[in-house]
Amino acid sequence: MKIALHVPCYINELNPEIARKTLLILRHFGLNVSVPKNQTCCGQPFINSGQPTTLPEQFNEIFKDYEYIVSPSSSCTSTIRSQELEVSKKMYELCEFLHDILQVRDIAKNYPKKIALHNSCHSIRHLLEGAPSELNIPYFNKVKKVLGGEIVEAKRDECCGFGGVFSVKEGFISYVMGRSKLDDLISTGGEVITGVDFSCLMHLKGIAEKDGDDIEIKHISEIIYESIFGEEK
Amino acid sequence: MKHYELAVKFYKEKGPRHDKSLWTIRQKRDKAIKEVPEWESLRVQASEIKDYVIENLQDLVDEFIKNAKNAGIEVVFAKDAQEHNQTVLKYLKEINAKKVVKSKSMLTEECGLNEFLEKNGIEVIDTDLGERIVQLRGEKPSHIVLPAIHTTKEDVAEILGEENTDPTYLTHKMRELLRKEFLSADAGLSGANFLVADKGWAVVCTNEGNADLGAVLPPLHIISVGVEKLVPNMNDLGVFLRMLARNATGQKITTYTSIFGKKENGKRVIVLVDNGRFERLNSEFKETLKCIRCSACLTTCPVFRRSGGHAYRYVIPGPIGSLLAPLSDKEKYKDLPFACTLCSSCEMVCPVKIPFSKQLVKMREYVTKENIALKLAEKSMHHPQAFKLFSTILRLTPKPVLKTALKEWSRYKALPKIPKKRFISL
Repeated sequence: MKIALHVPCYINELNPEIARKTLLILRHFGLNVSVPKNQTCCGQPFINSGQPTTLPEQFNEIFKDYEYIVSPSSSCTSTIRSQELEVSKKMYELCEFLHDILQVRDIAKNYPKKIALHNSCHSIRHLLEGAPSELNIPYFNKVKKVLGGEIVEAKRDECCGFGGVFSVKEGFISYVMGRSKLDDLISTGGEVITGVDFSCLMHLKGIAEKDGDDIEIKHISEIIYESIFGEEK
Repeated sequence: MKHYELAVKFYKEKGPRHDKSLWTIRQKRDKAIKEVPEWESLRVQASEIKDYVIENLQDLVDEFIKNAKNAGIEVVFAKDAQEHNQTVLKYLKEINAKKVVKSKSMLTEECGLNEFLEKNGIEVIDTDLGERIVQLRGEKPSHIVLPAIHTTKEDVAEILGEENTDPTYLTHKMRELLRKEFLSADAGLSGANFLVADKGWAVVCTNEGNADLGAVLPPLHIISVGVEKLVPNMNDLGVFLRMLARNATGQKITTYTSIFGKKENGKRVIVLVDNGRFERLNSEFKETLKCIRCSACLTTCPVFRRSGGHAYRYVIPGPIGSLLAPLSDKEKYKDLPFACTLCSSCEMVCPVKIPFSKQLVKMREYVTKENIALKLAEKSMHHPQAFKLFSTILRLTPKPVLKTALKEWSRYKALPKIPKKRFISL
């Protein structure tokens, strides 16, 4: 299996550990994973700002020869999947790939802390990695299946309020949405908040830090990594 | 004022309560649609019917006009808002009408009919409870199905000059006042939720029966309706009647669902309005014509719930309004497509499957001029070396400068720490 790791540009800049851990997780499953050096961005920030961009086409050129492209971000995955490109059907969010292709289950079953899962909109509404409450379909959640054990979810599966350009244009409403999401997640009794999108988590983390909430927030790749290799000292 | 300023103001006054009431309605809706096992296939069916309607709109309009005339209804086609208002006025003048009772219609709001008739000396009484409340407050509806959802019982008591704020008491008081208006009106005005092409009938759905009183009591009943409200036949109508109220408020069906043909005790006129709809058929936003105005996208929108409908400043607020408003005035409403996180909850509840996220992204492109800084950033991302330089400059920028540049971000949350090393570093 020829697999490429997609390193989202903002993860490369702001939390490269997520990319490193994702790579090590994939290698742990015996996969031959390449990291194309010339990758930069899928084009999402420009598309969402209403600016013309040819970055998705460039993305296609860089990744089209791989069988699968795995990304630790559902929003980048959804951006590429909504384009009509050769790579569109080959790109997977990490948990989606672990669930659908590698059939991984219960990997974090013995995780020492109670996990509160933030279902990001790009994960459950764009990629259908779980059943959004608006649809009349049976409940399922691939991320929970992959992790296993007791995972708690927020009462409202609504947006955390980040929305990229939205958080810049409407800082206050973005904040109050993030605040209610944090309150909702904290009230579940979870000891660590996780999710598949670092962007939502970065937003929640920023609010938690400024408001002085005592809650741990980790990207899903960190939870999976620790479940496989143990916590790094 | 722009959406964000109005939203902040609204949230600080009424946001948490507004969010809570609308979320309760969203939950009622979720429960109600789950009582229909075939809900998701109904959505597919409804979407396909609407696709057929917009692809065959002119034929359906012709068919409807012919059949409505055969059924004994006068039909007038109006190309725009002005022609619509003039037509309504002409019919009212014919009978020398002084007072009309109106039931809720977003189209008459779109055409500014109330103000136009008032200017021409005709008194307009809105008769939907919520609509009457906003009319007395001198406001516009803030939601298309729950027009006064932004008000409180205290607000209602105040406009009625009452001290008692009990909702049942206030409702009875309002009913007493409105009953007098119905009995003394010269004509009834209403919208229509659907037009059945092969019968020539109009279908009106309300929960208060006010449209029915306006349609039956006075000798003249005028229906103002947009061409996109057509459905081919009664079977198709059935699909939408099963979905409309359930998706809007979680009711099984609207309390009053009336089908109007010939008026027995007088005249019924349908003003069929284009007002830009045919032009939209040829645009990349034609899918907005599928909307049946159920309002579910407003109710579910996490931004709408916190900012209130008036922050959108257009007759139709929320996600569907953010698509329609810039089509009516690109410059004035260019902020609306950005009053959205692209969470797609609107798309999930939409009974006719309007692809909201894709349309909103297209609308952002439609209203946005090319931004030089973003263009440069985009260009740099075509070359890994240039992108690295770009990010190195960002890393070398002193924190206070970054904080100022990202002031909307840092006002409400801590900036993320920037690590020394990247994962891919050239």
